[in-house]
Amino acid sequence: MVRFKSRYLLCEVCVPDRSSLQLLEDRTIYNTLRAAVNRAHGDYGSALFNIGVIVKYLNAHTGVVLIRSRKKHYRLIWSALSFITCLENRGQKVQCFLNCLHVGGTIRTCQKFLVKYNRQQLHRMLPACKTDAEKQEVRRAILSCSLSNVREEEADEDGSDDDGDEET
Amino acid sequence: MEEPSKFERYVYKNASVYHYMKISLVLENGNKYITDAQFKQLITCGLKDLYGEVGASFPFDLLKFDQNELTGILRVYNSGLVKLWSALTLLGSYQNEACAFRVMQVSPFLLALSGNSRELQFGDQLTL
Repeated sequence: MVRFKSRYLLCEVCVPDRSSLQLLEDRTIYNTLRAAVNRAHGDYGSALFNIGVIVKYLNAHTGVVLIRSRKKHYRLIWSALSFITCLENRGQKVQCFLNCLHVGGTIRTCQKFLVKYNRQQLHRMLPACKTDAEKQEVRRAILSCSLSNVREEEADEDGSDDDGDEET
Repeated sequence: MEEPSKFERYVYKNASVYHYMKISLVLENGNKYITDAQFKQLITCGLKDLYGEVGASFPFDLLKFDQNELTGILRVYNSGLVKLWSALTLLGSYQNEACAFRVMQVSPFLLALSGNSRELQFGDQLTL
C-alpha cells in the first residue's frame, strides 16, 4: 500500500579517547549533521534534511547512532556524513568521524545487525584480553547478547562455548 | 531475385552527452563591465547557494561570451542540466545589485543554437 518508506543509517562515532564520548547528545549529532548537509548540498540539502531526518537512537557508551531519513534521499545524507570532522557539545569540540555500519529499512533489521556486529566485536576482543577475569567477562557478554525471541541461537552458543571452556 | 532493400531506422534516446544553453544576463541598472571569468564565477556562486559544495563542483563550460550584450553559451553534462537551470533561475543579485538570467535556448546540439526562429528577421537581407 502507500506509505512513507524510510532508510535507517546505523553509524558509529569513532573518537581517539573514549571518555569524551560520554557527553554526546542526540541534539549534538543532529545539529552537526544539519550543518554538514548545508555545507555539502546547499539549500536543497537543508530542505531535504528538514523534512525527513531525525536521530532515532544514540548510545553514549558505545557511540552507536541510528539516523532515519526518507528512502529517496538517504544517499545524500550518507554522503554528508563523511564531511563531519568534529562534534561540538556545550563549547567543547570533540574530534571524531562517523563510520556507517549498516543501512536498514526498519529499526528491527538494524537491531539484528547490531547484535551480530557486537558479537563479532566481542569475539575479536577475546584474544586481546590480558587477564583471565576479563576473558570470563567477555565470554559471559557473548553468551548474553541476543534478541529476546531468538532462543535457538542462544542454545547453540551455550553448547559450543561449553566445549571451549572445557578445553581451556 | 534480389531482395527488396531494407528500411532501417535508428532511434537514439540520448543523442548527445552534453546540453548547450544560450543565456543572457540582465542587470537592473544597465550594463556593467563583467569579464568572462566573473560571469562564470557568478554562475558558480548561484550553484553553490542552491546545491552546496557538491553542486558547485559540477563541471560546466562557458563556450562563448559577448561582453557588450552579456550573453553566453554554456555547456553542461546531461545529468547537471536541471541543477544548472534551476540555479540560474534562482540567482537574484550580483554585487548587491538585482539581476536576472534569461535562458533563450536550450538544445542537445550546438548547431541548433546558431539559428532561432524567434529572432529571425525577414527583409532584403536575411539577418539572424
